[in-house]
Amino acid sequence: MDTERTKPLPGDFAIWIFIFAELMVFGVLFIAYAVTRSLHREEFAYYQQFLDRETGALNTLLLITSSYFVVKAVLAIKQDKVQQCVNGLGLALLCGCGFLVAKTLEFSDKFSAGIRLSTNTFYMFYLSLTFFHFMHVILGMVILAAILFKARAGAYNHREHTGVETGASYWHMVDLVWIILFPLVYIIR
Amino acid sequence: MRETFTKSMARNIYYGGAVFFFLLFLALTYDTHQVLPSGDNHEAINEVVALGKKVWEENDCIGCHTLLGEGAYFAPELGNVYTRFGESTDAIKLFIKSRPAKGVPGRRSMPQFNLTDEELEAIAQFLKYVDGIKTARDWPPNIQG
Amino acid sequence: MKYQSQLVAKNYFIAAILLFTGQILFGLIMGLQYVVGDFLFPEIPFNVARMVHTNLLIVWLLFAFMGAAYFLVPEESERELYAPWLATLMFWIFLIAGALTVIGYLLFTYSDLAALTRNELFPTMGREFLEQPTITKIGIVIVALAFIFNIGMTVLTGRKTVISLVLLTGLVGLAVFFLFSFYNPDNLVLDKYYWWWVVHLWVEGVWELILGSILAFVLIKVTGVDREVIEKWLYIIIAMTLITGIIGTGHHYFWIGTPDYWQWLGSVFSAMEPIPFFMMTLFAFNMVNKRRREHPNKAAVLWALGTAVMAFLGAGVWGFLHTLAPVNFYTHGTQITAAHGHMAFYGAYVMISLTIISYAMPIMRGRTANGEKAQVLEMWSFWLMTIAMVFITLFLTAAGILQVYLQRFTEDPVPFMVAQQKIEIFYWLREFTGLVFLIGLVLYIYSFFVKEENVAA
Repeated sequence: MDTERTKPLPGDFAIWIFIFAELMVFGVLFIAYAVTRSLHREEFAYYQQFLDRETGALNTLLLITSSYFVVKAVLAIKQDKVQQCVNGLGLALLCGCGFLVAKTLEFSDKFSAGIRLSTNTFYMFYLSLTFFHFMHVILGMVILAAILFKARAGAYNHREHTGVETGASYWHMVDLVWIILFPLVYIIR
Repeated sequence: MRETFTKSMARNIYYGGAVFFFLLFLALTYDTHQVLPSGDNHEAINEVVALGKKVWEENDCIGCHTLLGEGAYFAPELGNVYTRFGESTDAIKLFIKSRPAKGVPGRRSMPQFNLTDEELEAIAQFLKYVDGIKTARDWPPNIQG
Repeated sequence: MKYQSQLVAKNYFIAAILLFTGQILFGLIMGLQYVVGDFLFPEIPFNVARMVHTNLLIVWLLFAFMGAAYFLVPEESERELYAPWLATLMFWIFLIAGALTVIGYLLFTYSDLAALTRNELFPTMGREFLEQPTITKIGIVIVALAFIFNIGMTVLTGRKTVISLVLLTGLVGLAVFFLFSFYNPDNLVLDKYYWWWVVHLWVEGVWELILGSILAFVLIKVTGVDREVIEKWLYIIIAMTLITGIIGTGHHYFWIGTPDYWQWLGSVFSAMEPIPFFMMTLFAFNMVNKRRREHPNKAAVLWALGTAVMAFLGAGVWGFLHTLAPVNFYTHGTQITAAHGHMAFYGAYVMISLTIISYAMPIMRGRTANGEKAQVLEMWSFWLMTIAMVFITLFLTAAGILQVYLQRFTEDPVPFMVAQQKIEIFYWLREFTGLVFLIGLVLYIYSFFVKEENVAA
């Protein structure tokens, strides 16, 4: 790529290919959801009211907060503040755990009510979208944890911190997807 | 290419992505197993049907026909042949039995398999069982398969 | 050639080309049977011809993959093969077992073959592409294990490169997923569900890893581009392959009694399966444009670029054409599927095999590249076979569209055989194009026997 970029993409270029692919999957799924919803307005509106919006809102808050901590971690490592970076990542992971717990409770609630992928089209979308995202949160946390341990071992500093930026980019993608998913599936009537 | 495109990151995405999506695939497989009994017509599987599946396999029927759309495209779809033949296992048996050993001049023809009466009954029952499998949108699209 | 033991690959490649020829001959027989229904009936009924056609394809591709592995792994690992004698032994075992199986198909009625090989003890026969007697399947497993052991030991005790590691994971995956061919429950839905774990996870999964690593190897050799760059691309491409392809299995779970949600998941993920193929095309052309040397083997470069383009067209574009559930509802199990199958297998796996053969054979015969005359012939064969395959695909697609319309889409659908008669013209065209393909293949084989002076050593 010869064109001069004022600000290059943060992190490793490889992760951006991955992020692009992931966003495309989610994007297509979101479009599919929107189209199907417009064809089955009443069914979707009816079942939507049984979704747990409070937990959803809490989860949104948790993810946005975790993204804030991740940003803090990146800023910290750019100033060689390793401990602050580790703390930021740790807090982000904690928020992530909170998300997983809340989501697991929500899933178990739905499962115990006998709701499965095959129950109806709405729940098919609801479960596959949220579960697919759920697995991404886990993957994101694995990545953040790996970076945390590497940071603690002193692998990063103000000059070499591509790894932190890479993980942060991925985590923001996970966050971003939820920020679209939550209103789309839980709120918009 | 920018400098920060490292091989180790590419490798992690390869291994991580593969494991991630394979796990997801396993989860979906698990769910499929939970749902299948409601539509796979397993209650119709008995010894005769099981024998019918063996007859189906040991005469390589799939080498000409499709069954639920999978197989060769040389001869008609058989996933709904029971319906097409007026829901009559006898009609199926008669058809298989009456194939000319020397074929039909110039035309495609099903071989004469010389099946025993037991095997004939079994294959007909097998095809009836397959017809009872609940496929999405009642595939095939129409009676012609 | 850097290592003596690479030479074991030669037999594998020769066997591959011979079996390839057999495959094409049986393809022509089947093509004729499509229009002259009683051709060779009842001696070689269509199902037997098809079994031979598809099984030969699988076996010769496996021969080519094994040959490719034996050729490139020593060079990548910078050591001799762990056990060259084992490779030679396995070659003969595999060849004899394969030949016996095909002879079995042709000499016996299939049900007699099943009885003869005691299929009732462990029934695995009679499923598409997995028609081999159980004993042959066990043989395949043994050969595969010995092969992977040999390659694995060479890789693990030598220099570990991305290419050899990716190849190794691909080969291990190939062996692991083949094990599902032994699972054959009475429940047809389950049978089909796991049958695809062999078929789909092979051709749209692990085989693509093998394809990618062979392509990367040849590109490094013929372009001289930095290994680091090529290896990064390789990782990203195969990562995309698996990310889209694993859940993409869902496009086979639309109409076989599996839950409805597969229509969504299968459509979405498999719609993205062309991406890695597109990246592969970009990759191959990019590397060749950035080449740092002019490799004398022009034919190998042509095959490598051809693979990238035709794999994208056949697997990517023709796959996408009918992968969305609403479209597939009408096209499932028609000549559209056949069209896709032909171009995808040719573009991806036949061409990569011919790429590595084209690159490696001259080297194993003691020269960097064949002489001008042989190369020109080989390039002619490339164009003849490739263009023939494009037209076979186009004719089958036309046949498929008509078939779908007549038999499934109109208000008043006609029976299967009636539709078949109406589209006969396309089958004739396909058969003639098949003959052109055969001419290309004959030319290809002939190019090995061209005698020339002044060939660069």
